[in-house]
Amino acid sequence: MTVATSNVVIETTARSRQLSMRQTIAMAKRSTIELARQPALIAPSMFFPIFFAVLSASSFSKTTAIPGFPKVESFMQFALASTIVQGVLFGSVTGAAALATDIENGFFDRLLLAPTTRTGILLGRLAGSALFGLFQSAFFLTVLVPFNAPISGGIPGALVMVLSGGIVSLAIGAIMSSVAIRTGSAEAVQGAFPLLFVLLFFSSAFFPRETMSGAYKRIADINPISYLVEGLRALVLEGFTFSAVVRSLLVPTVICAAAILFALKELRRKLAAL
Amino acid sequence: MNTVATTTPVVTSVAKPTTMRSARGLAYRGIRNIRRLPSAFFPAMAMPVFTMIAFAGTFAAITRLPGFPTDRSVNWFMPLGICFGAAFSGIGLGFSTIRDIETRFYDRLLMSPAPRRSLIIGPLLTAWVRVAILCAFVIPMGILLGVRFTSGLLGLLTLVVAALGVSTISLGWGLGLAFRFRDMRGAAVMQLTMFVVLYLSSAQMPLPLMRGWLHNVARINPTTNILRLSREGLVLPTSPDYMSWSNTWGGLLAIAGMSTLTLVFARRGLNKLDK
Repeated sequence: MTVATSNVVIETTARSRQLSMRQTIAMAKRSTIELARQPALIAPSMFFPIFFAVLSASSFSKTTAIPGFPKVESFMQFALASTIVQGVLFGSVTGAAALATDIENGFFDRLLLAPTTRTGILLGRLAGSALFGLFQSAFFLTVLVPFNAPISGGIPGALVMVLSGGIVSLAIGAIMSSVAIRTGSAEAVQGAFPLLFVLLFFSSAFFPRETMSGAYKRIADINPISYLVEGLRALVLEGFTFSAVVRSLLVPTVICAAAILFALKELRRKLAAL
Repeated sequence: MNTVATTTPVVTSVAKPTTMRSARGLAYRGIRNIRRLPSAFFPAMAMPVFTMIAFAGTFAAITRLPGFPTDRSVNWFMPLGICFGAAFSGIGLGFSTIRDIETRFYDRLLMSPAPRRSLIIGPLLTAWVRVAILCAFVIPMGILLGVRFTSGLLGLLTLVVAALGVSTISLGWGLGLAFRFRDMRGAAVMQLTMFVVLYLSSAQMPLPLMRGWLHNVARINPTTNILRLSREGLVLPTSPDYMSWSNTWGGLLAIAGMSTLTLVFARRGLNKLDK
């Protein structure tokens, strides 16, 4: 009798996990389709990073000779990693703003009324952002590599870069989703974006830390975005080495784990308040 | 008798509003909006400060390039920040106009006997006031960060003239698009185009240090002349871009030409809206 009951419990738990996974996948599919159906929302996150990369490559082409600048074939090669991070930052905000819109227009409440997994609501949305991040990273590499921006790590290096782009997207998406859950306002999410932009500028994304000095260098030294970009840049400039792979995946994974935990905590807080 | 004598001049003044009187009224309204809706003006103030600090710090090493016209990166990027802020001051008034069109306030303006010119001159005066506030805030901040005017007050004057010019151009462009789009779709086009026009110039690097396609585009982009005008009082006296008439007239001509074109564009848009 006891064995039979325990078998039923195990089976129910397994079925519940399966159901939860199916619901999360359905939510991820919804958020991906939602992004794909609104090209006007995603176009800036595809266009602007390319525009800035092409502009910087032409503007700063002579700066690669400055002492302290890493050995590169072109400024475009140096800018490849920052283009991915920049694009992914823009894209992740779109996903989080969509979550805030769901809260604003009541769709989030309808999901809560449905017998669906609570974490799936958030993780499904984040999975959509991560997929978009993967797509963006692959797109930027495909477009920019032919312009004298070879990846020393070759195809494996490029694949790790795409994967890293997806993880960065997940991490930033989780951070911005926390803002969306806490405020329930798409405007607040968009308003928080300049903070990310400031972080990006005060990092080594656009110019190497070795050429900076004073307060700017100290800020770039403690800015996590510097390490995110430099990990990816190592794959482009140093090649497919163990150190480069670890740096390009470890930093975003740590940030991602912390950000998801924080977002889930925000979600639990919101549910408890209902 | 006494009553008639008092009433007549009042009626005359209401019945014949002059362009400048109406424009002043609209300008006061625009200036009051800065206080009532600071969030709309904030980007125009924050942008130049951010551009100046972030660019000067990140790209500080570019001053080490042989032939770079100044040894202080903040001297190079402060005028760019101010020109960006001036552009957004003008465009911001384009946004306000769209809001007025959407809320039907503009219909009331069009029904009033105010001369049509004043509907453009009023916002223009507001844009200039915004630029004055911007310069009064950003230039002292720049000086604190290490900006040095190498040609004294004349350098300050050319910088302010360039900023006023950029705000005039962007206002004409913003109003022209606002009158044509009549909704917030126009706002995105305004920002994107100004952004692209400013960047496709010597915004980040001096012309002789650029290479490739951007050099060719920046060479024919009139904004390059305006930026040269704004920076001529901030570069080293040994630089070919230092304060001189040959570095000034091109900027003034570009301002005059582009302002005329965009203000005509705005006026024609207003005529269409009026119909």
